[in-house]
Amino acid sequence: MSASSTAFNALGDPTRRAIFGKLRDRPLAVVDIADGLPVSRPAVSQHLKVLKEAKLISLRTHGNKNIYELNREGILAMRDYLDQFWDDALANFKLLAENTETENNKHPNK
Amino acid sequence: METINLTSIKKEFTVAAAQETAFKVFTEEMDLWWPRTHHIGSSEMTGIVVEPFANGRWYSKHADGTEADNGYVITYQPYDLFVLAWQINADFKCDPTLVTEVVTEFIPEGPNLTRVKFEHKDLHKLGSGRKVVASMDEGWGMIMDLYKKQAEQ
Repeated sequence: MSASSTAFNALGDPTRRAIFGKLRDRPLAVVDIADGLPVSRPAVSQHLKVLKEAKLISLRTHGNKNIYELNREGILAMRDYLDQFWDDALANFKLLAENTETENNKHPNK
Repeated sequence: METINLTSIKKEFTVAAAQETAFKVFTEEMDLWWPRTHHIGSSEMTGIVVEPFANGRWYSKHADGTEADNGYVITYQPYDLFVLAWQINADFKCDPTLVTEVVTEFIPEGPNLTRVKFEHKDLHKLGSGRKVVASMDEGWGMIMDLYKKQAEQ
């Protein structure tokens, strides 16, 4: 599965969207992320793992604290997905159009 | 504020083919160049169809006999302009309330040379159109808001 579709799926869950929304404002420690969310701490950790694997957020340590923040590189992967798709599709198109033209010119009455 | 760079994808290239050939291959023979790995159907993709007129359907066909809409034809103007409405949303489902334009221009530069200007526009609509955002996946809207923020910095 591509990075982009992983990211799409990761945001398909309301709790993960809530976490992602919190991190939009600023980097946070796990305890602050869990604060106000109607799920257990282990559940929060599991959601963070999914978001991290989808490259939507990243983890850094500050002192003895784990701080989560948005991963811009992963977020831009979303747009890159479409960009890459069109690159592949248009390269196919160019090749086919050029081959078709070559065939047309071989058989001009076709 | 317009955020063109991050909200549209542009490609420009030349094709060693006549304008008519380039247009016909792009539209009538999309089935032959569309990557088979990219579809939103329920089973393996067996073909993709563009109905060659304004408001024509644009859909893929699948091994289990089903069809999946991608969007529709906005402009079908042989042999220089073809505009599709791309309606695939963040859940990889067709959302009829969502329209992002895929504009392809075919500009003749010689008897066997055509310049193709391609743009997938309006990606900003995914995040800034209030009505659209309300009706579609919130995650995608948030992502696009982030793009906007970054673009506007």
